[in-house]
Amino acid sequence: MLKAYTGLIKKEFIQVRRDKNMLRIIFIVPIMQLLILGYAVNTDVKNISLDLYDYDQSHYSREFARALAAGDYFKFERDDRPLLTRSLWTLDDRFRNGSAEMALILPNDFSGRLTRGEDVTVGLVADGSDATAARVGIGYMQQIVYRFSGRIAGFESPLTMRHKFLYNPELASVYYMVPGIVATLLTMITVMLTSMAIVREREMGTLEQLLVTPISGTALLLGKITTFAILGFVEICVALIVGILWFKIPFVGSPLLLFGLSALYLVTTLGIGLFFSTVTSTQQQAMFLAWFFAVFCILTAGFFTPISNMPQWVQYVTWINPMRYFMVIVRGILMKGAGLSELMPNIYPLIIYGGLIFGFAAMRFTKRTT
Amino acid sequence: MRKIRFIAQKEVYHILRDPRSLVIVFAMPILMTFLFGYAINMDIENITIAVADYDKTAASRQLTGDFINSTYFTPSAGKPAFQDPERLLKTGGAAGILTIRPGFAEALANGTEFELGMTVDGADAQLALAVQAYSNVLLSRFLLNQLPPGTNIGGVRISTLVKYNPDLKSSQFFVPGLVAILLLMISALLTSITIAREKETGTMEQLLTAPVKPREILLGKIIPYVVIAFLDGILVLIFAKVIFGMPFVGSKMLLLLFGLIYVTAALSIGILISSLVSTQQVAMMAALVTTVLPSVMLSGFMFAIKNMPTALQVLSHIVPARYFLVIIRGIMLKGSGLQILATQAAALVMLTLVLLTLASRKFKTTVG
Repeated sequence: MLKAYTGLIKKEFIQVRRDKNMLRIIFIVPIMQLLILGYAVNTDVKNISLDLYDYDQSHYSREFARALAAGDYFKFERDDRPLLTRSLWTLDDRFRNGSAEMALILPNDFSGRLTRGEDVTVGLVADGSDATAARVGIGYMQQIVYRFSGRIAGFESPLTMRHKFLYNPELASVYYMVPGIVATLLTMITVMLTSMAIVREREMGTLEQLLVTPISGTALLLGKITTFAILGFVEICVALIVGILWFKIPFVGSPLLLFGLSALYLVTTLGIGLFFSTVTSTQQQAMFLAWFFAVFCILTAGFFTPISNMPQWVQYVTWINPMRYFMVIVRGILMKGAGLSELMPNIYPLIIYGGLIFGFAAMRFTKRTT
Repeated sequence: MRKIRFIAQKEVYHILRDPRSLVIVFAMPILMTFLFGYAINMDIENITIAVADYDKTAASRQLTGDFINSTYFTPSAGKPAFQDPERLLKTGGAAGILTIRPGFAEALANGTEFELGMTVDGADAQLALAVQAYSNVLLSRFLLNQLPPGTNIGGVRISTLVKYNPDLKSSQFFVPGLVAILLLMISALLTSITIAREKETGTMEQLLTAPVKPREILLGKIIPYVVIAFLDGILVLIFAKVIFGMPFVGSKMLLLLFGLIYVTAALSIGILISSLVSTQQVAMMAALVTTVLPSVMLSGFMFAIKNMPTALQVLSHIVPARYFLVIIRGIMLKGSGLQILATQAAALVMLTLVLLTLASRKFKTTVG
């Protein structure tokens, strides 16, 4: 039994090593992606292209324009002369070809009303097709207007709010995203490898050859799984080392805990891969399932958008996404130094999930092979 | 021409023989559009916060109410412990803790300076910035409400007009993008295995001994998938229109035309991969790894390209989804015409040609 098991692992590794392309895809491509994509993430809405139509051309309107230009929220087309004299009807075209995202119209009685202490209404036109950017832009505008009004009226707020950012004081999104990418790559690669490797043997007819040998179904299963688990572990180690050395992501918590919980997570992803391999008959089908699962995991794990933001029924759907639990674990350990007790709410589901899916898939697998 | 047709016919038999895969190819994009159209929402709202009110006055309760009853924030289930309030952030029970020290009401009445505290979980930078912005807005609003009635400080008010998407629904922005990305992935996957499968099963030699040119094999193999991917795209678009009520301002014909170019580009990626590798498994993994994350992250689907470092902005030019995203959003939401989108379309055509040339060149060398 033991000899059959180690023999199988050896066979799997020979197979992996022989395929240079496979090795490149498992190790080099993900690392390259990590290096590149770590920089791609920047959800800060900045440099919104703003057209300013100033029909007042007064001291106040110019001061308002300066208030808008300060900071990197808004960007005028030409920095030296932000006060445009373009016709209003060209605005539609400028929105369509992306030259402008927002436009602000200052009426000709802007300064007159302000000096009399009256309210003045300015017009803001926003390109709503990117809803998030538009919302944020309107929010920025609101803040600038509040401040400007206060200054004109000589009203200073006695209250201030001091923000203290824990765990990531510089608010670098890279710190948050790199652990997310690590979790994604681990999930994609282990699920795909497992689901396709077994179907492949079946498709090529080599599974039958294995079955006529005196190796038991269980040993066969364990041999395959162990190989992929080891590959998954190497993957996560390499990715973490790159993240720490290159992106200088913090590692506040316990490495041991992270490895233990990664092992727990691997049981789940390998179980899912195994399950896929038992319900499909060609590599193509297995791959489609694995692909669907990978995209599902990425988009509903709270990787890019918080889960609390999703509609309630989608939040229930995310319960079947094992990556959502692992995401909290990885980020918690790396950035916040969370311990076992703090992570418990995310560990229980993984234990139950992993146990169920792995057990079920293993049962199906051994039943089919004997 | 006839030879291309025969190769295409043979490929159609392959496709039809595996109806399960065909069902997946059509059902999955629809399922995904449905799920993600709802799931992806970049408007960060309902952030869970906790309030530690040590002032315990009417004013502090008023401020607390303003915060937790706004659409920005929702109250957390747990209360921050006096000894270790930050534990609530560590467990993920709250994203921020508003601390109101004693003396708040007094300072407010006397107009003396006073500092409120907001401790924020900075792990998610995006969320943290939102907490900061929202709490500043809510504080300004609170202050304005505290002014005695009738005070007129005379200020600037904004009247806002939002074009193309007046309700600012983010699904209107994401659903077209989702269509683009799903189409790209499924197309690349479909063709990535076609040639690799022939190599793996040994039928490649047979195909090569037949009197057909490599170019004809490639074209014959692509054409059936162009049809499938194109139908897939139309199906997903119809679905998006029915379920999400997506607007369709611009020309449908123009979108279909560009869609055809786009799926050809995506299929070319698959063909290129397929001619480079020798097994189906490697081909599929390569297709997945090279399409999923790059097209989600580098195409402008979620993260604005103009905010990326310059090197990445340059790199994003090889991601086909980047061009089609501008096209599909422009046509569906803004009604942009050919004139405005010509550069994007030209880039897409160029990219397709480059990919196809590369594929046929690589294909030739591997067959010798």
